[in-house]
Amino acid sequence: MTLKTSAFALTALLGTTAIAAAECADPIKVGVLHSLSGTMAISETTLKDTMELLIENQNAAGGLLGCEIEAVVVDPASDWPLFAEKARELLTVSEVDVIFGSWTSVSRKSALPVLEELNGLMFYPVQYEGEESSKNVFYTGAAPNQQAIPATDYFLEELGVEKFALLGTDYVYPRTTNNILASYLQSNGIAEEDIFVNYTPFGHSDWATIVADVVALGADGKQVGVISTINGDANIGFYKELAAAGISADDIPVVAFSVGEEELSGLDTSDLVGHLAAWNYFQSAESDANDEWVAAWKAKMGGDRVTNDPMEAHYIGFNMWVNAVTEAGTTDVDTVREAMYGQEFPNLTGGTAVMLPNHHLAKPVLIGEITADGQFDIVSQTEEVPGDAWTDYLPESAVLTSDWKELGCGMYNTETSTCVQLTSNY
Amino acid sequence: MPRLIFLALTLWLLAPVAVQAQTLQDILQTHQDEVLKPGRRSVGVVLDDLVASGLPQTVPFLEAWRDREIVQRDSDGLFFRATEDGDAITLNDLDTGENVGTADDADLTDSRPNGGVRRAIGDALVQFQLSDPNILKRRSAVNAIARSMEASQLGPLEASIEGEIDPTLRATKQRLAGMLGARFADTQDKRIEAIEALSGDLSVDVRAVLNTILTTKTGVAPEPPADKNIAQILTVGTDLTAEDAYARLVAADLAPPLISKAAIRNALVANLDGDTVGGVPVATLNTDAARATAYDALAADGLLPQRVSEAEQAAAIEAHSFYLAYTEPDTAITDAARAALRSIETNVALSQAADLGLDALSLASIYFLAAIGLAITFGVMGVINMAHGEFIMMGAYTGFVVQQFVPDYTLSIIIALPLAFAVTFGAGVTMERLVIRHLYHRPLETLLATFGISIALQQLAKNIFGTQARPLTSPEWLDGALVFNDVIAISYIRIAIFVLALLFLALILFVLKRTRLGLEVRAVTQNPGMAASMGINPDRINMLTFGLGSGIAGIAGVAIGLYAKVTSEMGADYIVQSFMTVVVGGVGNVWGTLAGASLIGFLQKGIEWLNPSNTLAAQTYMILFIILFIQFRPKGIVALKGRAAAD
Amino acid sequence: MHRSFFLQNPSILWFLTILAGFTVGVTLVSEVTGVGLISTSFVKTLGKTLCLCLVAIAMDVVWGYCGILSLGHFAFFGIGGYAIGMWLMYARTEGIVLGSLAGQPIPPTPAEISDAIGNQIFGVVGSSEFPMIWAFADNLFLQLLMVVLVPGLLALVFGWLAFRSRVTGVYLSILTQAMTLALALYLFQNDSGLRGNNGLSGLQNIPGYEDFSQATISIVFFITSAIALAAGYVFFAWIVSGKMGSVIKGIRDNEARVRFLGYHVEGYKLFVFTTTAIIAGIAGALYYPQAGIINPGEIAPIASIYLAVWVAIGGRGRLYGAVIGAAFVSLVSSWFTGGGAPNINLGFYVIQWTDWWLVLLGFSFVAVTLFFPKGIGGLFDLLVRKQP
Repeated sequence: MTLKTSAFALTALLGTTAIAAAECADPIKVGVLHSLSGTMAISETTLKDTMELLIENQNAAGGLLGCEIEAVVVDPASDWPLFAEKARELLTVSEVDVIFGSWTSVSRKSALPVLEELNGLMFYPVQYEGEESSKNVFYTGAAPNQQAIPATDYFLEELGVEKFALLGTDYVYPRTTNNILASYLQSNGIAEEDIFVNYTPFGHSDWATIVADVVALGADGKQVGVISTINGDANIGFYKELAAAGISADDIPVVAFSVGEEELSGLDTSDLVGHLAAWNYFQSAESDANDEWVAAWKAKMGGDRVTNDPMEAHYIGFNMWVNAVTEAGTTDVDTVREAMYGQEFPNLTGGTAVMLPNHHLAKPVLIGEITADGQFDIVSQTEEVPGDAWTDYLPESAVLTSDWKELGCGMYNTETSTCVQLTSNY
Repeated sequence: MPRLIFLALTLWLLAPVAVQAQTLQDILQTHQDEVLKPGRRSVGVVLDDLVASGLPQTVPFLEAWRDREIVQRDSDGLFFRATEDGDAITLNDLDTGENVGTADDADLTDSRPNGGVRRAIGDALVQFQLSDPNILKRRSAVNAIARSMEASQLGPLEASIEGEIDPTLRATKQRLAGMLGARFADTQDKRIEAIEALSGDLSVDVRAVLNTILTTKTGVAPEPPADKNIAQILTVGTDLTAEDAYARLVAADLAPPLISKAAIRNALVANLDGDTVGGVPVATLNTDAARATAYDALAADGLLPQRVSEAEQAAAIEAHSFYLAYTEPDTAITDAARAALRSIETNVALSQAADLGLDALSLASIYFLAAIGLAITFGVMGVINMAHGEFIMMGAYTGFVVQQFVPDYTLSIIIALPLAFAVTFGAGVTMERLVIRHLYHRPLETLLATFGISIALQQLAKNIFGTQARPLTSPEWLDGALVFNDVIAISYIRIAIFVLALLFLALILFVLKRTRLGLEVRAVTQNPGMAASMGINPDRINMLTFGLGSGIAGIAGVAIGLYAKVTSEMGADYIVQSFMTVVVGGVGNVWGTLAGASLIGFLQKGIEWLNPSNTLAAQTYMILFIILFIQFRPKGIVALKGRAAAD
Repeated sequence: MHRSFFLQNPSILWFLTILAGFTVGVTLVSEVTGVGLISTSFVKTLGKTLCLCLVAIAMDVVWGYCGILSLGHFAFFGIGGYAIGMWLMYARTEGIVLGSLAGQPIPPTPAEISDAIGNQIFGVVGSSEFPMIWAFADNLFLQLLMVVLVPGLLALVFGWLAFRSRVTGVYLSILTQAMTLALALYLFQNDSGLRGNNGLSGLQNIPGYEDFSQATISIVFFITSAIALAAGYVFFAWIVSGKMGSVIKGIRDNEARVRFLGYHVEGYKLFVFTTTAIIAGIAGALYYPQAGIINPGEIAPIASIYLAVWVAIGGRGRLYGAVIGAAFVSLVSSWFTGGGAPNINLGFYVIQWTDWWLVLLGFSFVAVTLFFPKGIGGLFDLLVRKQP
């Protein structure tokens, strides 16, 4: 943080404290449940910083309901059971009004029972596999139909891909996403034998054989495309091997769902130019709000830092929550939740995000080509796509729907017209 | 596409007659949307019109468009070619090419053709570029043909071979013409000739051509049809399951559909009659058998379609023949293609085995490099160093830091390798002096103490370098891969690691077997007391040996960082594997480590080959194998004999 | 016999008294009694710590008394957790499924119920079929048997193979570590049938007791854990005190000599290895319902190393040492990483404990092994020696 901005923030802070002190006894507390140590710290620390920036800005703008907002930051240390423990602590000991947190699905599933038991409220900012809609969670990241399906459509429509390699890290998000995609591709006339699936462990580094397997897929004359749900560090080795094998995006395009600006800053992208990523946000999006946001982020964190999709999710989520609280006039969870439905807030990419009664956002889907400077050239941007909690492409989920406003149920079977359960599948 | 070229040719001749007054800008204006937001399917019209116009400025425009230099000025909707010069953006007229001034970024909208559109543009450019004086353009045209083969390309391509002056490109063109000929030549003889010429070439695109000729479709009919080029008659039971066969009959409307369990249930729900369905009480409908009875009762009343019995299914399957038929009607051609493909496939299988072997060798060399430092500290000295992985990490970070100061990648690697050795040698010696020397007689406690150092170093690295993975970029001459043929290839960086591993094997053998230090090391490890009485200073020897082992870990770190990643946790990824390598190979022997690394590398690749969709399973089975292996050969592959073998 | 056993080991009575006092004290000031001095989340932490103490005792017996540095006991701990977790998940989901199917016009078939449960449990990982290993998950009694049998059998087979081949010392440590790694990697696979990386979650909701608050459930588990720890302590104290204890300690000090004396060393080692594995499994079965979730990350080799470190810091070769080590390190750890410790401002640099705690912890292992090989428990020796 530069001296100038911190001084500015400080005066802003003091200013609001003075006003706030007059009207409210306690500050409004926002829990931040992101790992600051362990394997996930690489991604989640950025989100903690994002939340601090957002709260700073909000306080500078006069706080919320006349009160100052205070961030309660805890460190679940990438240890999944700790997410449950820390969530309980935040809700019962620190008594926070809302939590922003989690990255991996398993950490969310760990915190879920606690949130539902204590009727807390959490905003979850990362693209995920769907198949869930909890009363106590707002999902501001992409559901599969907001990332994976449009990207696959792009492959089918724009690049004419006929044979798919679904490469993923072996955990829930890639598994479920690939299941949905396999079913979607088959419904689009791609034969089962034209879908190659491979799972590798976290942090995998030995990619030579897998890349060779992918190249060999082209032997029957079909255009091959790779859909990658490879997570984290493993991408570095994967892209290095692709580059070494001389595979250009024109030969075998790769679209990644977990590679953003932050991940690309870890490698030399000159050989990856033209490969793709699908997100709801890219730093290169052209809008005034985005320019402002990027500038604020760089001012706080340093000029070489980049912004990415989950940060935008928190940006939208936090602002929506602030507006909902202002509208409701209270931070009471149930009142705020009611006020959240239909909340609108401008995206950083242009257009407006809307909070749906299934606790997911309607957001545009962007597809970007990697450029030599580690950014993305946006080649496709859809209209706002409403997030779908239960996918239409798996038979068991196709009959389920979520509507907390009208039906009051997150897992409603439309075939039998019954609410399967009010709590979530953990 | 064929239509496009036909148009081009005819319009080329008719050009003087065509509306010459039309400018490129006019055409673009009629297709504003398609130019600004092009899609693979929508761009065709624009390309057709442009090519049809016969305007000479079409080709430079298409090239500029492909290279994303086309912008639209928002104020008047005109398209320009933009050249960026620092902050200023200069606009060039598309028809005249002249500079028409600068513009502000805010007033311009970029046209961003995506990969599919760029390919379509490339296809449209082929006819103009095949004989272009610029070799780069000719090459890009040839690449465009290779990516999407069309019958219409055969003629122009063959015509351009004559005038091709570059021998390599000429060969490529001929090869490509051969592949096109195999698919699209006009007579049977020419195609068969072209197909036969392809046999023996195991590249992916040749196989793609042959496989395309051999594309099959499944079919079902009472008798195999005589008018089809049948590839194979499928036997139910071996080639396809009975369920599958029946499903195909249903799909072809040759048999009534089966009623699924869910459908039965829904039908029963729909026909609820108070407390009974078809005479069966609802409460007893909790078994499939009861439901079937109820359903059959309803079906007997004609309320529902009859269920298809097993016997009826079998009879329906029996009455039909299932076959695979080639889409290519000519038997002679498919026979030739099949023969050519078969000859290729044997080669491909051999090459794939060789490629897998190379991968395994490369993996083995990486394991070896990671473990060889341990082979010294653990294998020779008997010290369990859990921080060995962190020494690997330190080496990699040293490489990263060097690259921050020395931007030249070649030079930075040359500096980084010895520096990484020096840094980790220093760290190793320090650790030996401060900690390990006090614990020589308590090996299990060394394990704990070094584990403490390991987690402290890992966290320190996180505090210093952050949790983000850091780039360690290899010099340009290590980019790319050594390609033997289209199947066998190995990246240069892996070759470099292999060479490095060999070098260190030689170096360590030399140090241990041929130098004074090595003699003293062996003496101290075999009998420290005796060695000391011979005037050897065991303290000094232990310190140096440990430093040597650690230093090599540092160099391994640079190598691993180059091919994979640099993170604070990279060491932890290798530590267990390294220990197993040493133990499997046989402790106390560098050759053993080599054997261990080879065994593990080849084994892992072998298991991966058996189960290519799950790498994690391969690793699990490999470790299980190692556990069993150690049970039956506790001393490892290369076991020491005699007194040195005592624990 | 029993009287003399307790009289011979006064430390056991001391330990039991302190544990009982602690348990009663915590219960009295918890949220259950309305005092609420200790929050439910802290009761859970304390309950989990007691389970960790129990597995630490087991580790102490196998390492501190018998000299086998097993880096696999946390794997047994995890297996116990998985075994109980399977029942918890199955029973809870079954309740939900039966509830939602109850309103159907025609009663569901057993296959439909099983499909629906499978879909609820495995839908998360993109599957719906019940794998073989879930065969007993519908039966609490059988699954409790699994808590004991699976770790026990695994330890028995593994130990038999390893001890038979005379794999000892650091080799055995590496071998057990490999076993742990293989198990963790296996569980990481989605195909393992235990929900891969996600593991089993929502375990804090006990089927049949949905109406009880977590405050009550946590106290019940806390007390149960305390009882299990007490029982485990007495059991192991009894094992290591008699003639058998002497043989075990003899194996630690000089295995070859014990063998020459005619004892069946492998049998003793196998007994200790298997018994401790079973106790570890039981501890895990008590731990994970309190943690709420179990996943393969819990079993990673590093967890077993930590276990050894707790014992080393607490003091090997004395049971209360293991308890002190496990309790001390895990509680201090959560205090530091939980932001409880104040940051130290050096002027030019602020030491944030979330960042620096592991560094401190790492170096303190080194310090303990170098300078206090007897660990914290060694301090008691000083006290005892001063008194008379």
